[in-house]
Amino acid sequence: MAAQLPDLSATIAPAKPPLPSLVSARRLQWQKAARQLRLWVPAGILILLLFLCFVWPYVYTIPPGDTGSILNASLPPFSPGHWLGTDPNGVDIFAELVYGGQVSFEISLAVTAVGIVIGGVIGLTAGYFGGWVDSVLSRVVDVLIAFPALVLVLAVAEVLQPSETHLIWALSVFSVPAFARVTRGSTLTVRTLPFITAARLSGTSNRKIIFKHIMPNVIPGIVTFSLLGIGVIVILEGAVDFLGLGIQVPQPSWGAMIAKGQNVLTAQPQYVLIPSIVLLIFVMSLNLLGDALRERWGVR
Amino acid sequence: MALAQQVQLHREPGARGDLARRVTGSPALQLVGRRLLTAIPVLLGVTFLTFVVMNLIPGNPAQLILGINASPGAIAKLDTQLGLNHPFWDRYWLWLDGLLHGNLGTAYSNQQSVNSDIAQFLPTTCYLLLYALVVSLGLGVIVAVLSARRPNGIVDRIGLAISMLGLSVAPYALALVLIYVFSVRLGWFPTISNSLGSNPLTAIRALTLPAASIGFPLFAVYTRLLRADIVEQMQREDYIVTAKAKGVGPWKVLVKHATRNSLFTLITLVALNLGTLIGAVAIIEPIFSLPGIGAELITAIGDNDLPLIEGIVVVFALVTVAGNLLADLLYTVLDPRIRYGRAAS
Repeated sequence: MAAQLPDLSATIAPAKPPLPSLVSARRLQWQKAARQLRLWVPAGILILLLFLCFVWPYVYTIPPGDTGSILNASLPPFSPGHWLGTDPNGVDIFAELVYGGQVSFEISLAVTAVGIVIGGVIGLTAGYFGGWVDSVLSRVVDVLIAFPALVLVLAVAEVLQPSETHLIWALSVFSVPAFARVTRGSTLTVRTLPFITAARLSGTSNRKIIFKHIMPNVIPGIVTFSLLGIGVIVILEGAVDFLGLGIQVPQPSWGAMIAKGQNVLTAQPQYVLIPSIVLLIFVMSLNLLGDALRERWGVR
Repeated sequence: MALAQQVQLHREPGARGDLARRVTGSPALQLVGRRLLTAIPVLLGVTFLTFVVMNLIPGNPAQLILGINASPGAIAKLDTQLGLNHPFWDRYWLWLDGLLHGNLGTAYSNQQSVNSDIAQFLPTTCYLLLYALVVSLGLGVIVAVLSARRPNGIVDRIGLAISMLGLSVAPYALALVLIYVFSVRLGWFPTISNSLGSNPLTAIRALTLPAASIGFPLFAVYTRLLRADIVEQMQREDYIVTAKAKGVGPWKVLVKHATRNSLFTLITLVALNLGTLIGAVAIIEPIFSLPGIGAELITAIGDNDLPLIEGIVVVFALVTVAGNLLADLLYTVLDPRIRYGRAAS
């Protein structure tokens, strides 16, 4: 290091604050801006999508998402009054996207919430107490992960009338074990840290250790994971709708839109493309936001 | 625990042969044994859960098979034939007994044995998954190594963008877009493929689009993981500094030292995720009309065909459990630190 110093002083003005290696100030500024952009661009897109799905229909009248006039069937995009066109039944595609998006948002948020609460409790308990508690809970989680939840979703669709609530519980079979594993893993890591040992030695109760010391350290990991998780669940929920087992037509959903488009793929690919692209943008924003938060909070 | 066993084994030489002691005392084998034992309750749990769920479905299978106009006598006869007149626990026990004897029962829908049904559909799925795995792994390793050579360089940026795309795309949407572009527009690949045929070339052509639909998201996951791991190795590990200091070329350090080490993590992840591929198969195969086990599961669920569903679920669960076991094994074989670390605890 010392041997390099003369070379460095030749390239960097001595008055400047010590910068890491040869990175210029402008470049650092740009990196800082880029970091902000990586966080706020996906966040902005998500906010825009949320706004379009939940506020727009109340501010601005849009056609119904489940019925349409046969007179307006199969309009191409950019038609007057239907800027994304209509499907072969005359349903406005933009309206279908908005109402389908509401369902996707609601279900994926609810499934993630169920996963965080139930899976989080399982993971914290298993990771903190260890021993036979851990063994039993881990086996239960293993069973749920090895269990093809598609079977359950289907059975639920057959036994009970398929509805949003039932779909949420069925899809939670995916989210609960995933969150349980992640929480258990990070709890195990945190538990071995010296300050936990210190707390335990000073006689802090288990409850206080879990809530005051472990939870704050586990939560950032769970939040970033849940953003990725929401993306996975949106895709899964779409798959269930795509198979015709989730949200029942005529109630619109993105998965069902793609499935309907499959029948006219050759002639009118836009029925597959439009919902697919919206789904892609939605999931990608979630993933990018998750990455940005992970970078910011320094969680792996 | 394991340590105590080893100590005991040392105290009684001659009680067991030298080889036997070495085998039972081997930490890796003990770990495998433990994992095999824990796999049994997992398999039991999965099959039982499926049994419960499928029994919740209203309607009598005999009625479903014979149709609405069947006489009560005929239904009762078929009930006896299928063993449906037994109580729930007896049926599960009978089925489990059959499973242990390698007999998965008879499918309701076509009255064939479930074993032969699965044997008929499994190869297509295996080829499909193998194709998807090999291509996504191969491309993933190449892209990850090129990206990790210069983190934040142009190759890295493009690689990250592509893998972000793969991470966010829904496989069924991707499948339809691929069909539209490559089958409908360009005509390079068949749209549907009811059978793979005997010609390997046509089989590969038939499997390319479904394998791409399953493989692209996999590629994204593998690339991201491997790139991050290599970059970390290159920045943190002492052996990299040593290799560089003794004059090993940059490519050689990257490929022979860092990548080789990171590949272990990747292979473990691949093994762990074997089970999750099944969901993708169940959705992709019907789109391409591929005669695989995933498409068969969807049909069986539609037909309420409990024995067939149970059989397929067992196969899936076995693959998942085997994948987990394989991951553990690879860990211990490839990384001695874990082998001895775990055995001592």
